[in-house]
Parts: sequence; C-alpha cells; structure tokens
Amino acid sequence: MIRGEYFDGRSATGIEATLEFGADGAVHVHGAVVPLSFPLAEVKISERIGNITRRITLPNGGVFETPDNDAVDEARDALGLQRGSSIVHWLESRWQIAVGSLVVVALVSIAFLHWGVPAVAKWAASVMPVEVDRAIGTGTLDVLDRVAFRPSKLPDERQAGLTKRFADMTKPLHDGHEYQLEFRRGGLIGANAFALPSGIIVMTDELVKLAKNDDELISVLAHEVGHVRGRHALRQMLQAAGVSALAVALLGDVSSISGVLSAAPALLHAKHSRDFEREADAFSKQWLREHGIAESNFDAILCRISGSHGVSHSAKSEGKEKDKFDYFSSHPSTTERAQCPEEEVAKEESEPQPEAQSEAAVEAEYEQSAPVEAEPPIDTPLDE
Amino acid sequence: MNENPYESASPAAPASAPEPQTRVLLPFEFRGNGGEYFRIWIVNLLLTIVTLGIYSAWAKVRRLRYFYGNTFVDGHSFDYHGQPLAILKGRLIVFFGYVVFVVASQKYPLAAIIIALVLMVFGVPWIIMRSRKFQLRMTSYRNLRFNFHGTYGGAMASFIGWYFLAVITFGILFPIWVRKRVHYSMDNAAYGSQPFSFLTGNGTYFKFCLIAFFGGLAVYLGVIFSFFNLPDVEEAMRLGGIATTGADMLLAAGPTGWALIAGGGIALLGIFGYYQASAANAAFGGVQAGSQYLRSNLRSWPLIGIYVSNLFAIVFTLGLFYPWAKVRQLRYQLENTAIDSDGNLAAFTASSGEGIDAIGEEVGDFFDVDFGI
Repeated sequence: MIRGEYFDGRSATGIEATLEFGADGAVHVHGAVVPLSFPLAEVKISERIGNITRRITLPNGGVFETPDNDAVDEARDALGLQRGSSIVHWLESRWQIAVGSLVVVALVSIAFLHWGVPAVAKWAASVMPVEVDRAIGTGTLDVLDRVAFRPSKLPDERQAGLTKRFADMTKPLHDGHEYQLEFRRGGLIGANAFALPSGIIVMTDELVKLAKNDDELISVLAHEVGHVRGRHALRQMLQAAGVSALAVALLGDVSSISGVLSAAPALLHAKHSRDFEREADAFSKQWLREHGIAESNFDAILCRISGSHGVSHSAKSEGKEKDKFDYFSSHPSTTERAQCPEEEVAKEESEPQPEAQSEAAVEAEYEQSAPVEAEPPIDTPLDE
Repeated sequence: MNENPYESASPAAPASAPEPQTRVLLPFEFRGNGGEYFRIWIVNLLLTIVTLGIYSAWAKVRRLRYFYGNTFVDGHSFDYHGQPLAILKGRLIVFFGYVVFVVASQKYPLAAIIIALVLMVFGVPWIIMRSRKFQLRMTSYRNLRFNFHGTYGGAMASFIGWYFLAVITFGILFPIWVRKRVHYSMDNAAYGSQPFSFLTGNGTYFKFCLIAFFGGLAVYLGVIFSFFNLPDVEEAMRLGGIATTGADMLLAAGPTGWALIAGGGIALLGIFGYYQASAANAAFGGVQAGSQYLRSNLRSWPLIGIYVSNLFAIVFTLGLFYPWAKVRQLRYQLENTAIDSDGNLAAFTASSGEGIDAIGEEVGDFFDVDFGI
C-alpha cells in the first residue's frame, strides 16, 4: 500500500488515496469515489529524479501522486519492472559517481580548451577569406593615432630605407595580405611595434633609436609579419567565441551569471595571446635564418625592449615566478623567448633542455601550417 | 521549510478584493537542494559528453522535472512533461537549419544576410509563440495542464511591432514594449479551463523604467564628472596629455577617487537590481486566474546580494558552485512569490477536450517541438 493523492484530471481536486500493486498483475487505487483497477501494463510510473513527487499515470487520465519514492521503487523492483530506467537515478544519487563525473567533465573541458578550441579556430580561419582580416583591422590605426601615437620625427631617408627593406621582406610572401609599414612616435608606449590584422605594421621612433642595427629592426618586423600571416587577430576572436560556447554549454541557464560567461574568454585571452607570440617568434627566427641574418639580433632587441620597459630579467627567481603564473601574462617571459647576454651562463645551468624542446615544437607546428619556400627546416634547437 | 504549507499561509484581506470571504496568501516554496542538483547536473554533463550531445535533450527534461517537481504551492508540486525526442527534434531542426545557412552563405553572402534579417523579423515571433506553447502545455499542477492561446500575429505585434515603435520614438515607448512582451506571455496563458489575465498597467512599467534609466544616468554622469574634477586627476591629465591611460588616472586619484568609483559601481548595481526586481514583480505580480492573484515581492538589495555572491562563488570555484547558485536564486524568487487566493485552488477544472481522453500523453503535433534552450 502506497499512500498519496488521486487526481482525476478533470478538476484540480485531490482525493487522499492509496495505491496497491496487486499480486493479480493489476494496479488498484482505493479512496476514489469508485475503486479503480487497471492492468499493470497500461500504467506509467514516472522516473525518479531526486526526491520529487512520483507520478503514476493511469489509463483513465487520472494520476496518483505520492512523495513516497522508496515505496514505489520497492514495489517496482518486486514486480521486476523497467529496472533499466532507474540507472540514471542510481548514478545521480551517489557522490562517488558525481566526483568521478566531475573529473571526466573537467578533463574533457580542459582538453577542449587547450587543444580543441585553438585547432578549430585555426581551421575556421583557414577557410575564411583574407578580406575578413582587413575588415577586422579597419579604422584601428585612426583610433590609435588619436589616443596613443604622435607623428613620427624620423628623417625621411631613414623611413624610406626601412620601408624598402620591409617591402623586400613582404613582397615574396604572396599570402594575400597587403603589408604596409608605418612610423609613429610612441610617447608613453615607448619602444614597440604593432601589427594590425589588415597588414599595417606600426613601428615607434623609440624602437628605431633603441636598435643597434637594421637587422634587429628587421627581426622585429618579421615577428609582426608572423602575427599578420598567422592571422592571429582573427583566430583570437574565433577562440574567444569557442570558449564562450563551452561556458554557455556547461553553465548556460543561470541568468545572474550570463555576465560572467561573456567574460570567460578573457580568462584564456592571455594564454592564447602567448601562444601567438611564440608562433610569431618562431616565424621571425626562421625568416632570419633563411636570409642569413643572425637570430641573435632578435634576442638582443627583445632583451633591450623589455629592459627599456623596466622589466628586470637579472633576477632568476622572478623568471621562475612568471612561468608559474603562465596563464595570466599576455607575453611569454623574455627569459623564455630570448637569451639575454648577461644571463646566458646562469640559464644553461638551470634548465636548458625543456626550453629548447618547446621552441622547436612550436616551430615544427608553424612550418606545417605555413610552409615558406626556402631551405628545409633545421632540426637543431634554436638556442645553442 | 514547513511540512504543511497550510500552516504558513497567513490570512490577508486586500482592499481590492470584493469577496467577503477570507483570503489566504499561499507562498511558493522550493524543496530542492544544491547538493542533489549538483549530482544531477554533473551526471547530465557526463552523459551529454559521452553521447556527443544527444543526451542533452534528456538532460533538459531531468533538469526541468527536478526544478518543477521541487516547486510547491499549497502543498502540491508542479511537473514537467516534455518529451526528450520532441526537444531533440527541435534542436536538430535548428542545428541543420544553421548548417545549411552557413554553407549557403559562403556562396550567396548577400542573399544570406537578407534571409537572416527576414528570419529575425518573421521567424523569431513564431519561435517565441511555439516555445511558450510547448513550455506551458508541458507543465501540470494537480494533474491539470497549463495552456497557451497566443497567436502568431500577437507575437509579431508585441515583440516586433512595438520594438520598431520604441526605436523610432528614440526609446520613449521602450517601457510599453517591455510590458507588451510580458502581456503576450501571461495574458494568453491558461490553467485548465481558466484563462489568465495580465493586470499590470503601463504606468508601473513607465515608472520603474524611467527611475532605472535616469537613476543610472545620474550616477554615471555624477561619478565621471566628479572624478575628472578631482585635482589630482586633473594634474595627471595635464602632465600625461592625450596618452594618459585609465590606470594612470586611477593611480593619481588616490583613495577619494577610488571610493567615488566604488560607490558609483555599487549604486549602479543597486539600480540594476531595482530594475530586475521591479520587472519580475510587475510581470508575475500582474497575473490573475479567476479569483486567484499572483503576488511577487522581490526586493532590489537581496536580489543583488544573491547575484553578486553567486557570481563570485562561481568564478572562485571555477564553475563548481553553479548548481547551488541556481538553487539559491530560484529559492529566493519562489519564496517571495505567492498566490493571493480565496483558498480554493482545487476548484480549477480541465478545459473541454482535455480530461478523460487526454491520457496525460503529449499531442503528436509535428510542430510540438521545443526551440527553447
């Protein structure tokens, strides 16, 4: 006997009733105006979820409702009824299963964020026309000119010389991008260079002054070309969309957190950004090698730029700290990217091996995606 | 909470009620808990991943049944009857429609933009109408179904027509648009044979929309104006010129400036909470079904407290707090909603055509698909 309430489906009036799974294979409801009996096969028992009211639907349109889930389960088991449908409830009622599920869901999500999202974004970018990049970059330089830059004070001959070398570098690339070099005074931004997705590369006067020779500047320009060529701005946007999609799929239906979900991509922005920096570094170094320019030029200017920005890389402990919080900085630490002269000996003692491997791996990946017509790739690690 | 909700029902005699008999306030109650929902949620996610997304339709049914089934009023819970296959069908239609659209837009980009716009204007009201119908028809209480009689034309007028009117009047009619959408959802609903009416008037909507808009604007402008007039900030801007960054100014501003910004942020949050609470109160508090009236009494600051603490908890637990957050939010909303009743909820009857022959089964209409998320 299971105690509950009977609703006939014609009015909202409930009648206190009991339900019994008879030994004769019938279901009896006692308490209604007339005693009711139905064949077991025509009765539908709702699935158990948590401890919500159980609903036993009868063929006359009536429903027997009971809070006594355990009694219904016992009766059902005794009759050997649909054990299969309660498997999900079995899974849902155990904390061990919940923790196990959590581990699997977390691992799959992390793997998806780490490999899946970048891979899908890379593929999606590859099927999109180059015009998309141009559309993303439209107007950006105007905005930067208004808020950050001031007109360059470099002599015209100097500008012309660098523009010539830049054109020599970008002409043979034939990747659909229209490369263009612009000079600006950086002001507070200081010595730096920027790539806009449309192919415009901006170099500050301060950077030109900081360089000891033009090869150093060319190595920086090659790095920026690497950003444009790798379509990093577009891929960054696509990856952000992918991260949002995952966040919505996992946590989508709470209204109060929709604001946080839209910020979710920002959490991974720095990590993706650093991956792109490494890719651009790899392109620059490869280009330098293919054109007989020493890669040390890139290392030298990089170290000097971060020095000029007040980043100290003499303290070894700081470099290690940075690696630990790798998910939070937008650029890889300079000690990882380049061998700064003062530090060379100290570094080799600590951990030269993993560093060389990671650089080589990034480079191999890049060559697969964007082969440059030149010598075969060199397998030796970069930082010898 | 209370074992017997009748005990917690307190008599109330609103001045507006013409009936001489005593009226009671029957509060809603949520009996689920975060730990239980956590296990349901995580198993749902696991099975969805393992089945490459197919299970998500079953997951939705379990999730909704858990929430409906734990929502009690007058000692009885609601139930959700949506069938996973109907939900799966809706999702597949949307998914394949989207794929076809993306592929076609590669070839005919201009046509794709036009089709997308047409779909937005003419398709969205249809989807809203169908989803609302599905949602209400799949909901039962005491073995009586809810229903929805809204028409496509009605959805078109309230969601699209009033939107355009609001836009061309520079937002002056925005409150009416907000009300029209709720009116469409509520006024066309029914429980059994009893149609619902929506009583909240335009005045209420104009009032809270205007307070929220001008309140927000005043706080925003006030903070910006006072901040830039702080002597230290002015000094920093004079020195840094056009290249002064927000960070520079913040550094220069010092504690006074920080307090100003923090105070402005809190005030804006409060206004956001005021809008959310007022909108919910206006929407739910305006529903009448025969001699039963819904009452909604959400308050701005508790609501904001729940929003903000949920947000921080979810972020700091990397999403793990989500099930508890959802339960907390729902519990607050439900516990501040009640039925102002003549005490006779059992008097509702099924509509003709329903009842004996509607064996609790779903109607096999092809368009009985769920497009909701």
